Amino acid sequence: MSTFPVLLFSVLKQKVGEARLTIHLQGPVTGAALLDHLEARYPSIAEYRGVVRLAVNCEYVPESVVLVEGDEVALITPVSGG
Amino acid sequence: MEKKIHLQQGALDVAAAFSFLQTPKAGGVALFVGTTRQWTGDRETVRLEYDCYDAMALRELDMLAEEAGRRWPVERLSVLHRLGVVPPAEASVIVGVATPHRADAFEACRFLIDTLKRQVPIWKREVYADGRTEWIDGTSPPAIR
Repeated sequence: MSTFPVLLFSVLKQKVGEARLTIHLQGPVTGAALLDHLEARYPSIAEYRGVVRLAVNCEYVPESVVLVEGDEVALITPVSGG
Repeated sequence: MEKKIHLQQGALDVAAAFSFLQTPKAGGVALFVGTTRQWTGDRETVRLEYDCYDAMALRELDMLAEEAGRRWPVERLSVLHRLGVVPPAEASVIVGVATPHRADAFEACRFLIDTLKRQVPIWKREVYADGRTEWIDGTSPPAIR
């Protein structure tokens, strides 16, 4: 079993009602598998699946990324700073 | 290249940003200041609220600064972003670049603000005069490098 902190921001943080989730999954886990798990649990994440970019340890990565225990995962919806 | 990259709650100081950018090696300083617009069409904004993934935003901004330094002869560079609440007319972001000649300063400054808006994990929420709020989505997901 692997454990991952998943950080949420802006609209996802508001809709899910949490800034940080802790997800436990049987490894090895890809980014896509983690997103599948999250969207099954949180309908509001499913709504944004098409535009969410994954970040792992502060770096944008494709969904094919293989996660290792303790990786900090963040769901990044299209940004709007400035 | 000397650079200053900072995220902060509370007002940004444009004069201090300019002061940092001043150097006898530069013949031009380009400063872009993004501010809160009160009216968008017929909707009135009473404030913006910014959310940020601080650790990653700082890392992304540093990568953008280094890329600007590779592409243009940048002597000094500054990117300052305000977080939390920003009232109308106040600055939410300052991007400044000092280069020997002005064309490079304009280009590097534009590169920094345009790329910041696509790549750096910061989000704004509009709070309207009628009490409604809305998180603003960018146009597309940030690019993977």
